[in-house]
Amino acid sequence: MDFSIASILMLDGVTNGAIYALLGLATVLVFTVTRVIFIPQGEFVAYGALTLAMLQTGKIPGTVWLLLIMAALAALMEGVARWRHNGNPGRALKAALKILIFPAIVSGLSVWAAPQQFSLWVQAALSVAIVTAFGPLVYRVAYQSLESSPPLVLLIVSVGVHFAMTGLGLLFFGAEGFRNPPFWDERFNLGPVAVSGQTVIIFAVSLALIVLLWLYFERSLRGKALRATAVNRTGARLMGISSHSAGQLTFLMAAFIGALSGLLIGPTTTVFYDSGFLIGLKGFVAAVIAGLSSYPGALLGALFVGIVEAFGAFWASAFKEVIVFTIILPVLLVRSLRAGHSDEDH
Amino acid sequence: MNFKKTLLALAITATAGTAALADVKIGVSLSLTGPGSGLGIPKQKQLTLFPKTIAGEKVELIILDDASDPGKAAANARRFVTEDKVDVIFGSSLTPTSAAITPIAFEAKTAQVSGAPIAPQGDKESFVFRLPQGFAVMGHAVVEHMKKNGVKTVGFLGYADGYGQGWLGSMGPLLEQAGIKMVDVERFARTDTSVTPQALKLTAVNPDAILVVASGSGAAMPQLALAERGYKGKIYQTHAAATPDLTRIGGKTVEGTFVVSGPALLGDQLPDSHPSKKQAVNFVTNFEKSFGPNSRNQFAGHAYDFQIAMEKVIPMALKSAKPGTPEFRMAIRDGLENMGRTVFAHGVMNWTAKDHEGYTLETGVMTKVVDGKFIVQ
Amino acid sequence: MKIKNFALLVLAIAIPVLALLPLPDFWIVQLNYIGLYALVCLGLVLLTGVGGLTSFGQAAFVGIGAYTTAWLTLNTGMSPWLTLFVGLAITGASALIVAAITLRMSGHYLPLATIAWGLSLYYLMGNLAALGKYDGLQGLKSLSIGSLDIGQGRWFFVLTWVILLAGATALLNLLDSRPGRAIRSLKGASQMAEAMGINTFRYKVSIFLIAALLASIGGWLLAHFQLTVNPSAFGLKMGIEYLFMTVVGGIGYVWGAIVGAGLIKLLDDYLQVALPALIGTSGSYEVIVFGVAIVLVLKYLPDGLWSLVARYLPSAPRRVDWQDAGNLPSRSKPARGESVLKVDKIRKQFGGLTAVNDISFQIDAGQIVGLIGPNGAGKSTTFNLITGTLSKTRGQVLFRGQDISSLPARGIARQGMARTFQHVKMIPDMTVLENVAMGAYTRGHSGVIGAMLRINKAEEHRMMKEAQRQLERIGMGEHLHEQAGNLAMGPQRLMEIARALCSDPALLLLDEPAAGLRHKEKQDLIQVLRQLQSEGMSILLVEHDMDLVMDVCDHLVVMEFGTLLTQGTPEEIQASPAVRAAYLGTEH
Repeated sequence: MDFSIASILMLDGVTNGAIYALLGLATVLVFTVTRVIFIPQGEFVAYGALTLAMLQTGKIPGTVWLLLIMAALAALMEGVARWRHNGNPGRALKAALKILIFPAIVSGLSVWAAPQQFSLWVQAALSVAIVTAFGPLVYRVAYQSLESSPPLVLLIVSVGVHFAMTGLGLLFFGAEGFRNPPFWDERFNLGPVAVSGQTVIIFAVSLALIVLLWLYFERSLRGKALRATAVNRTGARLMGISSHSAGQLTFLMAAFIGALSGLLIGPTTTVFYDSGFLIGLKGFVAAVIAGLSSYPGALLGALFVGIVEAFGAFWASAFKEVIVFTIILPVLLVRSLRAGHSDEDH
Repeated sequence: MNFKKTLLALAITATAGTAALADVKIGVSLSLTGPGSGLGIPKQKQLTLFPKTIAGEKVELIILDDASDPGKAAANARRFVTEDKVDVIFGSSLTPTSAAITPIAFEAKTAQVSGAPIAPQGDKESFVFRLPQGFAVMGHAVVEHMKKNGVKTVGFLGYADGYGQGWLGSMGPLLEQAGIKMVDVERFARTDTSVTPQALKLTAVNPDAILVVASGSGAAMPQLALAERGYKGKIYQTHAAATPDLTRIGGKTVEGTFVVSGPALLGDQLPDSHPSKKQAVNFVTNFEKSFGPNSRNQFAGHAYDFQIAMEKVIPMALKSAKPGTPEFRMAIRDGLENMGRTVFAHGVMNWTAKDHEGYTLETGVMTKVVDGKFIVQ
Repeated sequence: MKIKNFALLVLAIAIPVLALLPLPDFWIVQLNYIGLYALVCLGLVLLTGVGGLTSFGQAAFVGIGAYTTAWLTLNTGMSPWLTLFVGLAITGASALIVAAITLRMSGHYLPLATIAWGLSLYYLMGNLAALGKYDGLQGLKSLSIGSLDIGQGRWFFVLTWVILLAGATALLNLLDSRPGRAIRSLKGASQMAEAMGINTFRYKVSIFLIAALLASIGGWLLAHFQLTVNPSAFGLKMGIEYLFMTVVGGIGYVWGAIVGAGLIKLLDDYLQVALPALIGTSGSYEVIVFGVAIVLVLKYLPDGLWSLVARYLPSAPRRVDWQDAGNLPSRSKPARGESVLKVDKIRKQFGGLTAVNDISFQIDAGQIVGLIGPNGAGKSTTFNLITGTLSKTRGQVLFRGQDISSLPARGIARQGMARTFQHVKMIPDMTVLENVAMGAYTRGHSGVIGAMLRINKAEEHRMMKEAQRQLERIGMGEHLHEQAGNLAMGPQRLMEIARALCSDPALLLLDEPAAGLRHKEKQDLIQVLRQLQSEGMSILLVEHDMDLVMDVCDHLVVMEFGTLLTQGTPEEIQASPAVRAAYLGTEH
């Protein structure tokens, strides 16, 4: 193990770690606001990368149809719920339409734009828009009515959503993998390592998102309102903070981060319909190392996971998964002992 | 639903009485999802071109996914023999899944035509017939090419699953025999975000050649990683990578790779004297008519060969028994064993009472990727 | 006859009948799969449904059982009947190790840990050459007894379902017993359980172990049914499916395991054929339906299908058959004048806040002492310090001369101190009688095995008799068989007192017993307390209702802001200007 090999491994570990960090951030984000342990975060990544791949081939991605179906379902649920709540069909219709608008526009655009084969950047933007639109819809359909359930129930629901999204991914994208063209073809030489433009983009985006998220949640009123929802939902609602829109906004952000990550790994990795799970899980390990509560912690945890994985793959590639998932156990133990008894135990 | 089906079946058999209403049923268990999907899906595609009738009898294909899981394959097989009462089983596309089917097929005295190479099955051997070339056959072609080109050291970069394992196991003794040393073995998963560490290690060891063992689109990433690390030696790929998915994702990087393949894909490049030329050309033409130019695939070829076998054997069996009866199933088995020299797209098959294996060692053909196509060497 | 016994009988008869009927072979295959999946689900009912410990990793234990028998039968020719026990031993050992690490985790950390070690074990099993790596092991033989080949058909069905029946019976027996009540308190009432003398951690480990062993037996059966063993059957996806089966069937019910396994298996089979026909291409699309189904079930039927059945099934009250039972062992009571409780300068600090500031007082035998003070004075905290529910920063507590300062809550309970809680802590879906019987936990000793085999009948009768006696003593005799959750607040508080009395305490600690009671109920409570006092009981009372306190207490201790303000007789306290100032403020 000489210096050049070590530095290449470090670079590889840190690059992967940056992606895991993004997912870890999204996981922490979702958990701190909604108490949902969002296992399907990785599916947004796969959907993002594969939607772009489909657009690249000039076909309309299946995700567009799924988006429309989910939007219709969510709109229906919202309309019925509102009608039941205050008996005013006009208001209920308005609420339903509000949900339908953004997905409908994005879908319409995609159906028109797909065969036109626009530039990479346009298609990338479209992919992100499609997948991001999913976020609040998933929350509305699967989680909203279970808002006050304990995190264990929400965890099982997450598992259900993960199954459904993976199966649908197979349906839309088939079993073979895809790669996307890189956004930036340059290569830079930094001492013994060659850093590709893609890697630079990954770092830049990750850093930017971390800073933005931190600022949003620590400094802005809206962000603090979101955090309040997780700490005490009823209290937050009494203060005028809607837990529904808090949840939907959070899932919107998580889907956005997922889609973005998909675009970032698309050029360097062959993405399959089920790639999301393992990537999401590693991001999740990072988030757990951070106690599901701290953003800088998630970043550090993710870098740690990436580096362990890189060096583990070098020394004993067959056992690399065993290593990564076994380290989470002592971390969980330490975290849990520190957290003490949660409020569900009495 | 099961109850209704049973009632319906009873009603039909009670009122029918004529042979014309009995279909020939073929149970197909393939790995359509999971790590083995690259080997299973092409077979399924080819089966969509399977004839609807053979010798005047309707043929029904019941296709189930075993998700690359031997347990599920066993469950599928059990379903075939108890619920559907199939006349022959085609499956699976991976070694462990196919091996899981064998005892069940044997117990039900139903012939199994395996789409994957499996080890000799002892007393159950009489009901298993293997279509593909074994890993040793393909490996033989690879090692011969390596010997001819002066390769002395080899590195291995393969899937961490049954396919990778099968190749690793077969290559070991072949390389030893040829005096070539296996200097490093690395494994990776199809869904990994990067194989840089493994590529790094292999490049540092710098063997004369590296064998990449992966399938379809998953075979491209390891090569890209090796290229990025500056590896300059020869790269060999297995027959599961002899698909346009490799060139689609690998692009220019995979030019010059040596890919071993069965003759089915190379019909137009085979000399006219090659016995399989006609069938191979037939297979490729029909497959690419339905699935697009350059879509030809190794494993679809095996499904095509299955069709040839069935078209030969079913008429023979129909002479002595009706479909759906134990006698018919036995007749199919006997037919397969006794049909003699049969020209498949993948070579000339000659199953005998003693040998249910398949092809001889010379069946593997080495190709090289030139301009995105596989050219025979 | 009890519904539970009736159902068991029906099942017991059904097994040989189904085996003999000329059912299609495929149905038998299905029933075999359902049987062994249901075994694993039984473990989940106990672990997750009753114990509240969510586990996604049961499939890993199935794997250990399956691989053990596969490797041993293939490589050493050992008889599968022996490998079953080897498998159980290995599973048990690994379960204990995993339990030691993970069961101390609370809340959602435990399921995360089960996901993590499920994944680790899966990749580990897939990488060991001895276990055939990802291809697994093949060529296993069927089970056989002598010359009878059990095979994969009807005999296998009988074997599997007999084992399942035995497991279900054992669990049903377990849940209705002394350890069973302890287990039922794990989910949501563990603090109360510790106060009753129950070692909740040990029971968590026990149910984890039982669930693992059941899964291991399932794995053993699976190996000899499929004749092949490979890692994908033991991965995370299967672990999730087991949990899903149990949730759909009804995770809180033993029968839910069987119903859930059956429904999901049949649905899985149906979808495997129907979906590709619908969609037009083959592939494993059942996962989509399952994913959607999980979400729907959790939204609209979180208690599972069996809860529907249980709701409409008549539930017969427990048959009272313990009139002739003997008595539980009882404790020696303190003599008149003996010091029962001596609290010496106990202190509790939460960081910079001193909640309890060097409080000292004493209770003699037969005294009723009241601990009063304005809101936020630290009364309940003091209470919790004395009973061991909260740990002291400093100070000493002597109980009948013994130093109990460093004992945990359950140790203190065993010494003879019993308490009630400010917010009633009980198990709502157990009957009043069963809840009260929990109080007698420390006076019994039947363990898990004894309960499963139902050899604890005599002790159970004694416990029930005691519980009934205490309930009648405080006037709750007609509520014996009601669901505790259906009671009003007043009777619930009385139930708590009866439960505390069941432990045959020397000192009774009541935390705001009159809170939420109506006037008449408070009068009844005063009568009960006086009655207890006349029988020699010592009582420490935290209360806000001044009329009650002044009426019933012999001695009062007044706290303010964590500090002892003053103590004395009710008259002295009523006259004290300091107390008045504390409650009403000073005049200025």
